[in-house]
Formats: sequence, structure tokens, C-alpha cells
Amino acid sequence: MAFDVSLGQYYEGKSLIHKLDPRTKLFLVIAFMVATFVAKSIYSFAFLFVVVLLSIIISRVPLGTILKGLKPLIVIVIFTAFLNIFWTKEGNLLFSWKFIEIYDKGLLNAALLALRIVMLLAETTLLLSYTTTPIELTDGIETALSPLKKIKLPVHEFAMLMTIALRFIPTLTDETGKIMNAQKSRGADFSSGGLIKRVKALIPIIIPLFVSSFRRADELATAMECRLYRGGEGRTRMKKLKFKVKDIFGLLFALLLLAGVILINVFLSKYGPTI
Amino acid sequence: MSIIELKDVSFVYGKKTPYEINALDCVSLEFEENLITGLIGHTGSGKSTLVQMLNGILRPSGGTVIVDGEDIWKKPKKIAKVRYKVGMVMQYPEYQLFADTVKDDIAYGPKNMGLDKDEIETRVLESAAFCGIDEETLKKSPFDLSGGQKRRVALAGVMAMKPKILVLDEPAAGLDPRGRREILGGIKKYQAESGTTVIIVSHSMEDMAMYCDRAIVMANGKMLTHGTCAEVFSQSELLRQNGLDVPEITALMAKLRERGVDIPSDIYTVGGAYSALLDRYKFASRGKEAENGI
Repeated sequence: MAFDVSLGQYYEGKSLIHKLDPRTKLFLVIAFMVATFVAKSIYSFAFLFVVVLLSIIISRVPLGTILKGLKPLIVIVIFTAFLNIFWTKEGNLLFSWKFIEIYDKGLLNAALLALRIVMLLAETTLLLSYTTTPIELTDGIETALSPLKKIKLPVHEFAMLMTIALRFIPTLTDETGKIMNAQKSRGADFSSGGLIKRVKALIPIIIPLFVSSFRRADELATAMECRLYRGGEGRTRMKKLKFKVKDIFGLLFALLLLAGVILINVFLSKYGPTI
Repeated sequence: MSIIELKDVSFVYGKKTPYEINALDCVSLEFEENLITGLIGHTGSGKSTLVQMLNGILRPSGGTVIVDGEDIWKKPKKIAKVRYKVGMVMQYPEYQLFADTVKDDIAYGPKNMGLDKDEIETRVLESAAFCGIDEETLKKSPFDLSGGQKRRVALAGVMAMKPKILVLDEPAAGLDPRGRREILGGIKKYQAESGTTVIIVSHSMEDMAMYCDRAIVMANGKMLTHGTCAEVFSQSELLRQNGLDVPEITALMAKLRERGVDIPSDIYTVGGAYSALLDRYKFASRGKEAENGI
């Protein structure tokens, strides 16, 4: 049963963000990424934070759902931030012991870095996974990259690959669960013993999983060939992507976002702390 | 005597999400010792969910599961021990095979139980024999076998753990008639010889009628009815209302009854139908003989 799918979790909705063209959303995500990395002053971070909050409100995806999605990554965020505390050697020295020195600038940098990662993750997952179905997303990527076909890049194949990979994540999760339950029923124990014992305990799961993945791939290939799939050439779509008025506003907003962050960087940096 | 008891067991999939589903709704039932019980139900009736609770793969959202007089979730850390007592063969168990040889695969369960080498060896040979796996096959790779053979290897792997209760989820699904007979017949023989309590999940009424002593019918996450096969299959109207069928022979007998043939309503095997019709014929001819004054 596909109940605990943790990746590519689409949140059904009819909000403005749901209805945007996936290409617009891709552009927005890229703009947001650039903006977060360009952001220097504490004011630009505040500005981006407001943008994230606003987009969550507009999308009507519950905040709890988004936070739950971020939970598995919190360890990485904290770890990265933690390392940064020690790397920065500017500002006032707060604490020192042997070779460990902590500066106030280091603490600020660490906090802003954590905020940067969290905002990036929140905005990206909101735009590309909570409000866009995987099919829309790959369609969007395919059409956005289609000019690259001119230089013989296999864009369609790449998009098909992604569609298939995304499509099979829940299937494989499901399958893993089933195999784990079967082996547990035969007395398998995955949660005790040393590292080597634990890795060995995974063999009875990985082998059946590989075998069935190959079987599935084979069946899928046969099924696609039976339906005369011959690659992207001349293939038509059921749902054509179309730019609408709201997409123009979306693109304008992306440009505004970039311009805003750069302006804040230039004019307000001298008033507050910067990274 | 009941060996497994479920008290007000409920289960919810995807709790607190838009996809919440009540798979089981306050189910209370018992499984009798040393018998083959069939668990019948439509797709989505909750039978697979129920079965996965018997050995602690799923933990009920409410209620208790009592196996052999003990609440299995009293000590959640000891749940693995319950799995030695309740052997479970999942749906399409051939996909769980992994070892280099059939022999190693069957030995996986007993090895996990921490048995010594000689004991494992005897158990492997014993259960292989029950499932009709010969010496030659034991040395092969499980991936070189046919579908039916793989299924029997998987079954032997669970039997080798000598569980007190053997649970099988659709053991005959996707097999041809001969494969079905082999696997279900093997289970019946094993049950008769070892005295294990067996629970079979299926939606084939014919198989249930042929191999089970008792039957439990599930519908919409609830128990619809239960009893001996005769008791359950005589309620054809109730079964049909819930999208299930009675065995074909029962349906045929019902048709005959409709046309005025006087035969009992609890026939569910071809053998039973044969003797009932024979009785009826003898009775009729005796009546005629009496009439003719012979």
C-alpha cells in the first residue's frame, strides 16, 4: 500500500501555485536558489523568509506537512551549521579552548547558513513536490530543456527516465516493506548486533529487491514496446503545457525577487550584520 | 479450544492523512486449535491486515491479540519470539527467496531461531519432503525453479521453523489447478500429521470448501459470519450480498432445491453432493418399491 511515501508527496489542491505551469515553477525555484545564495545582509534573509511564508500561505499546504517533510534533513542542517561555528575566525572571540575558538560572527554565520538551507528546502519542495505532480514536473523539464535536442542531447530519454524513476519509488517502497515483513516472519532481526551483522541482515532484503526490480524493468519494457513506444520522436501529449497570464506574473515575480535581494544587499548591508 | 483470540481489534492505515482507511473495525474472533480455518473475504475486506496482526507484523491501533493465552504486545521487545510460534507465509512468497541454494533458503528461518546444525539439517529435509522438494532440487539455486516450485520452497522455509500456528496468505494465488492441488494438499497432509493449527486466507470458495474445517467470512473490516464450512456455505444469500460466492457445487444443489429436489442446503463438496444425491435416489427408489408392493 502506498501510504507512507515520503518522497514526491503531492498535496492535492487548487491554489494559484498548483495551477502555475511547471516551467514557471522551475524558473521560480532557480531564481529563489540564486537569491538565497546572493543574499548577504540579514534584511535580505528576512525578505526571503517572508517570501517563503507567503508562498506557503498561498499554496494552502499546511505548515505542519512541510515541516514534517523537512524533519529527516534536520540532522544535516544542524551538522553543517555546527561545523561553520568553528570555521569562521572573525568578529569578537567568545570562547577558546586549545585549538577551538568560537567567534560571535561564527555563530551568526552558522545560524544564517541553517536558515538558508531550510528556506531552500522548504521553497523547493513546496514548489516542485507538494504542488506539482511528478508527471507535470518531468513534462516541464522536458519542454524546458527541449532546445538542447538541437545539440543531440537525449532530453526525452532523460525525462522518461525520471518519470519512470519517480513512478517506481512508491512501488519499490511497498515492495521493500513486503519483503522485510516476510523476512521478519522468518525471524530476521534488522535492529540488533554490530555493523557487520546488520549489513549481513540486509542481504535477504536486497537480493529479492534486485531480482524483482529487474523483473519489473523487463515487464515495463515489454509493455512499452507493445504500445509501440519508440522514443520521443513524433510523440504527442494528452496534456499540453501552456503559458497563461498567471505564468507571466510568476516569471515577473521571480525577477522581482532577484532584483529585491540584490537591492537590499547593495543598500541595506551597511545597517545590519552580514554573512 | 481457541489458540488465537482477537478482542476488539481495529486497524487504521495512514492515520491523520487525507488517505485514512479503517481496515479493521473492532473485530473479535477466535481461531480453534488443530484445525484448518479458512479466512474468506473480498479484496479490501481486511483479511490480509488481520492476518498480519497474528504474528505482530502490524500492531493493532486498538484491542488485543492473544496467542496461546498471552497478549503478544505485552512486551513489544519480545515480538520476535511470537514469530517463531506463528509462522507466516505471505502473499507471493516466492519473491522473498534470496539464498544461493534452496537448502540454504529453507534453513534461513531455523538459523535465525538459533538451532544447532543437526537440528537445522533434519528440519530442512523434513519440510522439504512435505512440500515435495527432492534432494536434487535442494542443491539448485532458488532462482532456477518454476513458479510453483519456488512457492513450495518458500512454504518449506516457514514450515522448517515448526510453528505452532501456520498462517498462509493466498497460498494458491496465481497457480494452475495442479499447482493449487499440490500446495493445498501438502498443507492439509502436513496439518494432519503435525497437528499444527493452520489459517488459510483465500477468496476461492472451492479451495476453502475442499481443505478447511472451519471458515470465517470478512467484509468491510468486520466479521460477517463464522462456523464450520457447512454452516457458512449454507448462508448463500448473505455471502452473495457481500459480493462473495458459494462453491459451485453448493450453487448447483441450490438450483436443484429450487426445482423441488429434496436435498440438504449445507452441501459444499462434490463428494458430499454425490452421497446426498445417492441417498436421495435410494430413498426415492425404495419409495417406488414400496408403492409397487415388492
